[in-house]
Amino acid sequence: MTFKISTHAKGFVAAAAIASAGLLAWPTTGSFAADDMAFGPVKPLKVDAKKAALGKRLFYDVRLSGDAAISCATCHDPNKGFSDGKPLSALYPGSDGWRNTPSLINTAYKAAWFHDGRVGTNLNDVTRENITETYIMNMDMRLMQERIKQDPVYVKMFKDAGYGEPSNGSVRKALPEFMKTLTSRNAPFDKGTMSVSAQNGFELFKGKAGCAQCHNGPLFSDDKAHNTGVPNNPEIWSNPVRHTTYVAFGLFQGIENIMNIRRDVGAHIRTHKSDGSDIGKFMTPSLRELKYTAPYMHNGMLATLKDVVNFYNRGGGNDVNKDPRIKPLGLSSEERADLVAFLEALSGDPLTGPDYVWKDKIPLEYPAIENWRDARN
Amino acid sequence: MKMGKTTTIFAAAAIVAVAQITASGALADTNPPLAPLGDPPVPADNPQTPEKIELGKKLFFDPRLGGDASTACVSCHEPSQGWAFGDALSRGYPATVHWRNSQTIVNSAYLGKLFWAGSASSLEKQAKSAASGAVAGNGEAEVMEARLAFIPEYRAAFKQIFGDEWPKLGNAWRAIAAWERTMVQKDTPVDKYLAGDKSALDEQQVRGMKLFNGKANCIECHNGALTTDQRYYNLGVPPAERWEEDGLAQITFRYEQYAKGVTQEMYRKIKDDAGLYYRTKQKSDMGKFRTPTLRYVAYTAPYMHNGAFWDLREVVEFYNAGGGSNDFTDGTMGKNKTSLIKPLGLTDEEMDDLVAFVEAYSGPEIEVKAPKLPPYAPLPVETD
Repeated sequence: MTFKISTHAKGFVAAAAIASAGLLAWPTTGSFAADDMAFGPVKPLKVDAKKAALGKRLFYDVRLSGDAAISCATCHDPNKGFSDGKPLSALYPGSDGWRNTPSLINTAYKAAWFHDGRVGTNLNDVTRENITETYIMNMDMRLMQERIKQDPVYVKMFKDAGYGEPSNGSVRKALPEFMKTLTSRNAPFDKGTMSVSAQNGFELFKGKAGCAQCHNGPLFSDDKAHNTGVPNNPEIWSNPVRHTTYVAFGLFQGIENIMNIRRDVGAHIRTHKSDGSDIGKFMTPSLRELKYTAPYMHNGMLATLKDVVNFYNRGGGNDVNKDPRIKPLGLSSEERADLVAFLEALSGDPLTGPDYVWKDKIPLEYPAIENWRDARN
Repeated sequence: MKMGKTTTIFAAAAIVAVAQITASGALADTNPPLAPLGDPPVPADNPQTPEKIELGKKLFFDPRLGGDASTACVSCHEPSQGWAFGDALSRGYPATVHWRNSQTIVNSAYLGKLFWAGSASSLEKQAKSAASGAVAGNGEAEVMEARLAFIPEYRAAFKQIFGDEWPKLGNAWRAIAAWERTMVQKDTPVDKYLAGDKSALDEQQVRGMKLFNGKANCIECHNGALTTDQRYYNLGVPPAERWEEDGLAQITFRYEQYAKGVTQEMYRKIKDDAGLYYRTKQKSDMGKFRTPTLRYVAYTAPYMHNGAFWDLREVVEFYNAGGGSNDFTDGTMGKNKTSLIKPLGLTDEEMDDLVAFVEAYSGPEIEVKAPKLPPYAPLPVETD
């Protein structure tokens, strides 16, 4: 079977990408033929090297969290595709996660962030959300600004990057600049070096398996939320610290009946449908770099890509709100293996070199400003 | 008479009018005399009950009422350090240092306003504010409230005491305040002496009391049963040394300026704690801090809002010299030093006598066995 992606859907993806990334990596106009469906490659974004270098240091600096226990890289580890390899994130001390850490590779192309898509503006806001959110990094950005101003390395880097004096606002620009460098490189799919099995998998992906209905475009994501019936992760409800953290989140978000529900409502917090039909929807993730980012799904319930393909082959999970397009696929074991081979061919070079990792030691201590009484604050 | 803008802030207390007159020097005899301490006031909307007090004690010791579950009230109000913190600047949240000296909770029940610049109007509000400040507890309300719901013993206690279906964070502050209202000491040697037991003070202490009421004129501000007029003065206490030497302290200093909303120009220039100014934004209030009580001070060194002095003798010497100077007294940012502070001309022996008397305002050290904290447990699913 084949299907077409409507021009409306194309337009949405492209417009959203313009809005989010500022710089566009693929054509906004022209044909979007059913046979190529504008899959990849992900073209590198133009970045300002000095701003990105500053953002890189900030990314690896634990002093950006309230008690200096964690940095962005604690959960977004370059060795794990900028995710953390755990079913559920660790988050800030005293709290514990109830969702799987999403990879940051290609994040600059997204239209909405977090598994529920609750931030739909830009990475500047995503950065602010992650730094200040009490269970994520729990940082008062005013205090963060003063910490950064106390580090001579930062003072110089901000100046050299054209930001002038270190400020909250510049942190929220420099970190996204670094994240723009995290784009897929040299995946076999992009290089045209896929195995026969992977090529067969691609045909299934576009056809019989129906994956491309949601997993399309350069990131293999429609940037929308859907319910596929991923099973609940019981660990969230049996671990009081994780459950506590979810309740705190629910109190922030105004989730109804938060003390009694035992499920992640997902994108319901964006759309708040009164009939609850949006409960359990989660953003379609990109399928790039999956080799590095197991386990899978918003709550880490599926350990391997084979598990994921089997899950869809069974017709997803059980959920009253499940998208009707999720149906048993009747794939043979060979076809399932081909799909896995295709998914693996969407992973490129690991982003673990010095361009992506801050190698120098970042001190935890702050030198005193000499002549403090005479220096301008 | 200088009944200026600041007066309205304190208009609630009749005692203020007396103090104002006193400040003018016209009626110096009207300072409320030293007196034995009675029972602390209890707000009508937060009556004391044994169960509430017991809950409050646990919550005071419980680090889950803080950002990363490491920092409880007790972390900066250490029982063995006078229920305060034994360093010039309080400990602060992990990876920070505070910018002011931690004050004892002992007898805090009697104070009309809490914190050095009086920014909290009740113990309930003080607890809330301390638990959430970025360099104190750094806790967020929703996180702390959610945690309480997962501690079955607390859930039961909040339900029984407050009728909460789920523990309400506001009631946690009420319980802590209720417990703090039991942390009082009113049977010190001075209390006993003033109540008629003339053997309670020795001769040196009695000499010190006379100096206190007379030549040294401490009574001008440290008056009444609580030994404080609860008003705000700039004595010329020098800025914290640590601000000149310690990067971490410099960070917090600037953060406080930022967080308290001073002007950009002031943020750039300021090098000392402007105290009451942050609340009133009146330049005449720069560097003013509330007169602290002298009760329990034997255990609460160092002293002053920034811990500038390490023992009581140093404090007395500071007053004997007529106070000191800071940016808000020497003209750098103001000339707000109180005219009440003048060189006293005390001899060494007289200063020793004063210290001996002030120490008699501390009874035995108050010890409390740290409570066992109840554990988290999964929340059972409601069956319907």
